[in-house]
Amino acid sequence: MRRSLLGLLLIALVLNGVPAWAEYRSFVACPIVRDTKTSPCFLAEYEGELYYLGTQPDTDDGTRLPQLKHEVLVEGSVADGPRVCGGIPLRPVSISVVKEVNLACNTMLPQEPGIEAPPSQHAESLREVSIPSPNGQAGGSFVYGFDDDSLSAASIDTLTELAAYAKRTNASVVKVTGYQASSRLSNGTVMTEKAGLALKRAQNIETLLRGLGLRSITVESKGESEPADGQSDASHRRAVVTVIP
Amino acid sequence: MTPFTRRALIFSLFGIAASVSAQYATRDSWIESGAKMLLPEFDTFGNSEGSIGVLNASGDLQTEGHPFFTPLGSNGRACVNCHQPTYGMSLSATSMQDRWKSTDGKDPVFAAFDGSNCPDLPQDQESSHSLLIHRGLFRIPLAWPPKNSDGSAKPVEFTIEVMRDPTGCNTSKQHGLKSANPTISVYRRPRPAANLKYVVAGGRSIIAKTGLLADLDPDSGAPVAMNLMSDAREPSLKAQALSAILGHEQAHEAPSAEQLAKIVEFESQVYSAQAIHIWAGPLMGDSLGKNAPKGLGPVALRDRQLGATSADPVFGFFTGWKEGTHYQASIARGADIFMHRQFWVRDAAHFNSTNRGNPVKGTCASCHGSSMTGQDAAAGWMDVGVSNYPTWTESPTWSETSEVPVFKITCARTADPHPFLGRTIYTTDPGRALITGRCADVGAIVMQQLRGLAARPPYFSNGSANSLREVVDFYDRRFDMKLSGDEKEDLATFLGAL
Repeated sequence: MRRSLLGLLLIALVLNGVPAWAEYRSFVACPIVRDTKTSPCFLAEYEGELYYLGTQPDTDDGTRLPQLKHEVLVEGSVADGPRVCGGIPLRPVSISVVKEVNLACNTMLPQEPGIEAPPSQHAESLREVSIPSPNGQAGGSFVYGFDDDSLSAASIDTLTELAAYAKRTNASVVKVTGYQASSRLSNGTVMTEKAGLALKRAQNIETLLRGLGLRSITVESKGESEPADGQSDASHRRAVVTVIP
Repeated sequence: MTPFTRRALIFSLFGIAASVSAQYATRDSWIESGAKMLLPEFDTFGNSEGSIGVLNASGDLQTEGHPFFTPLGSNGRACVNCHQPTYGMSLSATSMQDRWKSTDGKDPVFAAFDGSNCPDLPQDQESSHSLLIHRGLFRIPLAWPPKNSDGSAKPVEFTIEVMRDPTGCNTSKQHGLKSANPTISVYRRPRPAANLKYVVAGGRSIIAKTGLLADLDPDSGAPVAMNLMSDAREPSLKAQALSAILGHEQAHEAPSAEQLAKIVEFESQVYSAQAIHIWAGPLMGDSLGKNAPKGLGPVALRDRQLGATSADPVFGFFTGWKEGTHYQASIARGADIFMHRQFWVRDAAHFNSTNRGNPVKGTCASCHGSSMTGQDAAAGWMDVGVSNYPTWTESPTWSETSEVPVFKITCARTADPHPFLGRTIYTTDPGRALITGRCADVGAIVMQQLRGLAARPPYFSNGSANSLREVVDFYDRRFDMKLSGDEKEDLATFLGAL
């Protein structure tokens, strides 16, 4: 099951038009906010270059966006195409807000002629997948920010759908597996998530599933699934839910 | 003194046709606990901005024996003592000053338990009730650490120290943090017991902005909206009524199921909103014509179908008044500012700390987005800086003075810090964190409805804004909105018309 999920994730990356050999960036930096005539964009500077991280959406679609007063861990592949909001786009991109407050992260740029935000869109995020299979088995992979155990709004919707599916099909077992991971930065530094996070991610999902009315749930924690490779680390920070009929 | 035995004006089913000036006459309309009187289907009560309308959708109500109006505890209070129709089903600080004078401090609203700064103060002195009399604040004693429903202590992520204790209650040997029953006393305004069908609507199993399970209604098992009270500590109107009777009314035994049901029934059918603006005139009624705003007045609150017009502005359209009288136009401009004036919303915990980013280019309605009440659409606690002190210092010389206690919160290294204030926070009210024990919740207060504001100053949960203009000034400073003087007046006028 795990292989199939990772396989689908890889397929998703390819379908998104990002070849596996695309230049990858992984770095920690203060985000920068650039005002525009419409919505503000989020950028970050790494080694003298600006990267585009996303635009404030019209509605909260669950995509994680940076926060001033916090550094962000940025992980993504350099995409072809023109600059967006003055920055090089990364697709897909994972944004993790570092929890500790950093008052130095406070840069806001004014509007600038010729720099506009893309209309009501944001940088593409890692996909979360729900996979009904012919045998009735379904599942979801929920990707987390670094050192984070909270689900995005989009993940909550997916989890709610999975729970409804499990109830509807009277599933015998719902299996939750939590993972945590390290992340290899472009400068060679390896960041490791806090101990016990894999289990906490799984337990949090278990709590939510029980709150959604499920009772037969097994929880396991796998710790680090793969060593940090500086290419796909963001996708390893996850919890996988499998609904078994 | 039975002011409700006659209606102030007869509205032809709420059509305001009578003399506007007559509405502004001040009446002594305080309802005593245990009063035997008729609460009319509709009545109006004067305030500084005109008159508020209170509508009982179920029709005239006899208060005699009704549990909302009858003392059920040991201190002579009933629900109505703190939820008066004249004050939008809440209270104003001015009303407390009047009651102190007219009753020589004997009104049950000044009960030692929570109507004074601390129960162990001399109760016959006005200074012992200063927070209620001057800021409309009741003492809310909360166990620390918070407890689960089975009475066990919840795990908490922070320690709490009392840094300033002007009321003496948090350092009291009997009532304080180091007493036999460790207690934190915070001081909060009573919320309006009206328009509650909107306040309790919208429960979802998982709270989107926290990723945590919502509380459940203990009776139905359904998830609740968690928009009741300043800290959402009670899940339902019934649970809140029970808690209030055992606490605020100091009942020694629980009320009957029938009494609780009658209280909830009453609260679920009473609507309150400004009905007449002192300068703009009637805010509701057929006489205004088809171009008048449709969201003003309590009848609109009664008739609005929840969710049916979610695409509308929060309080409806005001376009028809843009070319109206001077003050109608002012209200319309204020509505435009509320809905459309963009500014940087930043460093607001539980808004900017969710996925949407910090800062967000938004408007007042970005947070105050719930149709007709202007609450938050989700479970609505946020920290916008009303009670937290980002720049407070421990030095008595340099710190800000405070009429309310100041606490120092120190978050554990293993916990997530407050998203914008870090691991050491100075606050006058830890808010939701006193219920959850979570550091990220420190200072987060449930957003309250924006209806009937003119009847119930002062504002914010801690009564720190004496007028609607001060509310606007707070937001203008807090979010650097860059409003002009005229724009501030328009926005305050609009708020006073809700």
